[in-house]
Amino acid sequence: MKQMETPVFYEDFELNQSLPPLTKPPVDRVQLVRYAGASGDFNPLHYVDEVGQKAGTGGVIAHGMLIMGFAGQAVTRWVPNRYLRRLAVRFTGMTRPGDKITVTGRVVEKRIENGCGLVVGEVIAADEKGEVKLKGSFEAALPLKSTPL
Amino acid sequence: MSSRENLVGRELCRFTYLVERGKIRELVLAIGDDNPLYTDPEYARARGYRDIIAPPTFGTCIDLWGGMDFTTLCSKLQLNPVKVLHGEQEYRYFKEICPGDRIEAVCRLSRIIDKGKMYLFILETEYFNQEGELVLSSRHTIIERK
Repeated sequence: MKQMETPVFYEDFELNQSLPPLTKPPVDRVQLVRYAGASGDFNPLHYVDEVGQKAGTGGVIAHGMLIMGFAGQAVTRWVPNRYLRRLAVRFTGMTRPGDKITVTGRVVEKRIENGCGLVVGEVIAADEKGEVKLKGSFEAALPLKSTPL
Repeated sequence: MSSRENLVGRELCRFTYLVERGKIRELVLAIGDDNPLYTDPEYARARGYRDIIAPPTFGTCIDLWGGMDFTTLCSKLQLNPVKVLHGEQEYRYFKEICPGDRIEAVCRLSRIIDKGKMYLFILETEYFNQEGELVLSSRHTIIERK
């Protein structure tokens, strides 16, 4: 017998509802090296301080896509992967080693379309000082309680 | 700039990437995402998937390991690497991506926008699996500071 995720429905989301924040451990240099290897982004700006100094960032900065990875982790805790239709972000700030990122979200739109419950949410990643690193949105197509799965 | 304008609307590159279990694991370990759907095949199968699945930002691995790495991109778009930033990223999800999938990616330069102090390059990529099904699409905005 198939054991599904805890069922999540369109009706479980309310307009303007805040979604449970996800706080990550502080970003560290080992994580940046690990992310470079995993993603294939070997730009030395992410692991060689001198390159950061030259580029004017004052040292190494995290890969934007790592922070989008944090956003993806938070979003797929809010809506199961199978219902996620879109994730889009704009990178607005630089993340440095030691920054502790929290991802927050909020439901900004809900509508029923072609028998699916479309939920649109805002997603923001910011550090402990409130500096925003990325801002974006996600869309999920969720089943309705009134229709059989 | 003019020779770059000639690239607009054209296919920049096309490449094939074989999805590996270990690459998915490396990526989620780096992110620190402990969702077992990415690492535990039994857990994923019990939830109706054919195997573990790729996380939402796996497209970056397909691009960078599949053939569109940073150096290639800079050379194709004639970008100055030290002036380049990742501005925006959008993914649309159509179907799950699992280990063993052979993904064909087709990348097109859709627009170049002159914003005064910077240029924006909009890249659109579509990812198809071995069945020819569209599984993922990406809209990637590159900033080149002037």
